[in-house]
Amino acid sequence: MSEAPKSDVDRVSAENSAWVMQSLEAGQLASARSKHYPRRPLKRSEAILFWGLRMYLLFMLGVVVYQVWTTAH
Amino acid sequence: MDRARDRQRVSSARIHKGSFGNLRLLWLLVGPGILVMLGENDGPSMLSYAATGARYGVGFFIPFIILTFVMALVVQEMTVRLGAVTHRGHAEMIYDRFGPFWGRFSMIDLMIGNFLTLVTEFIAIRAGLGFFGIPPWAAVLGTLGVLYVALMTHRYWTWERITLAAAMFNLIFVPVALLAHPQWRSIGHALVYWSPLPGGVNKDMVLILLADIGATVTPWMLFFQQSATADKGLTPRDIRFGFTDTLVGALLAATAAVATVIAAAPLFAHHMSAENFQAAQFAEALQPFIGRWGAALFALGMFEAGMVACITISTASAYAFGEVSRQPHSLNLPMSQGKAFYGVLFLEAVAAAGLVLIPGLPLVSVVLVVNVIAVLAMPPALIFLYMLVNDREIMGDFVSPRWANILASLVVILLVGAGILYGISVIAPNLFALIGGN
Repeated sequence: MSEAPKSDVDRVSAENSAWVMQSLEAGQLASARSKHYPRRPLKRSEAILFWGLRMYLLFMLGVVVYQVWTTAH
Repeated sequence: MDRARDRQRVSSARIHKGSFGNLRLLWLLVGPGILVMLGENDGPSMLSYAATGARYGVGFFIPFIILTFVMALVVQEMTVRLGAVTHRGHAEMIYDRFGPFWGRFSMIDLMIGNFLTLVTEFIAIRAGLGFFGIPPWAAVLGTLGVLYVALMTHRYWTWERITLAAAMFNLIFVPVALLAHPQWRSIGHALVYWSPLPGGVNKDMVLILLADIGATVTPWMLFFQQSATADKGLTPRDIRFGFTDTLVGALLAATAAVATVIAAAPLFAHHMSAENFQAAQFAEALQPFIGRWGAALFALGMFEAGMVACITISTASAYAFGEVSRQPHSLNLPMSQGKAFYGVLFLEAVAAAGLVLIPGLPLVSVVLVVNVIAVLAMPPALIFLYMLVNDREIMGDFVSPRWANILASLVVILLVGAGILYGISVIAPNLFALIGGN
């Protein structure tokens, strides 16, 4: 195992770069992280579930507002 | 570079076999799990637990609170798995896999929820330090100063260790509970029989029930732990340690939560109404039963809970913002490279701090409403997590096991059920009475 560089002065040196690549997993490197996972198409049932829960949240937030309003009055 | 340095230390520890080697490895890998659990034992959470003890004593709610931590453990383990395998934050994964529409929705939910929660953290900080005669402006400015110092380390590892050390003070509620001379027999009875529940199921009980769930399971925890897991650099080999980290966090946080209920139980025993108590008033009311030192520790605990959560919640917002806006987002970044990351983090905290200085703001109502909103926002957030952690295309062999999926589904059903029960108790009290409430 190679020794960790002692200072950050040589951040971009080739030697440091090799050490970083050896220490991290491929997926952890900046080059890999700049790539994005492909989009996953939603099935109909999943879209219904997402929208259903969104409606639930909006409705329940209305209930909270109603409770705050009735308590205040 | 900093993350590589951290990973080198983990690799070195792996070489040393035996119990010492394992302990060193655990020491290096713990952090996000303990932080998220103790961070969620925040100002409004501790206030909810204190209100629970004062209104219901030692009974049904002690085992119920332990159950909420089991729920939190189940869902937080999924975030470790997801963060360690994908090396991405939660907001980024939702954005990538489900598209910008759902990505922005979940981001807006998180930002609004986090901002409101941050306001309540500053309420707890203000009230906790108010017990010692510290004026609100000084309490708020002091906390912002601590947040600034923690961030200026520009190193995830140092930030994590400073925040962990501060989070350990959450256990200050344990000596407070002991000073309240707990009835161990009653606690044992409550743990076995989930009773008594004075007053039965009624509107107030449902509100406390929801507040206690919201005190343990909230959306920011999902975003924070996954992003922190990725920022710390955990890999699939570390998932086992990530689970241990989360389990230890859950045990510590559950201990502090139950201790707070026990500490406030004398108010119930002496029939003292704590309906509109803030942190400092809880401490003052408890003083005849736990003494001046006990009351001071209680107030200090409230301050600490607010301060640690202020650090972790604002960090969760900054991670999510950076992930969705494709800006650099890491606590390892120097200021010059992470202006947007640190800017969002600090500005959100400053705005929340400024709000609690407005005179006449109904602070207690704000705390209760925020806890309820956290519970209501959880099911939509959990569905994203559930689908991501079962997505074989990104998780490969690390998809969530069947038992975890069953438990996570039960958590969603319980959260939606509690939300519906709350809705019925508010808008249809007659129907609520018909289904057994009073």
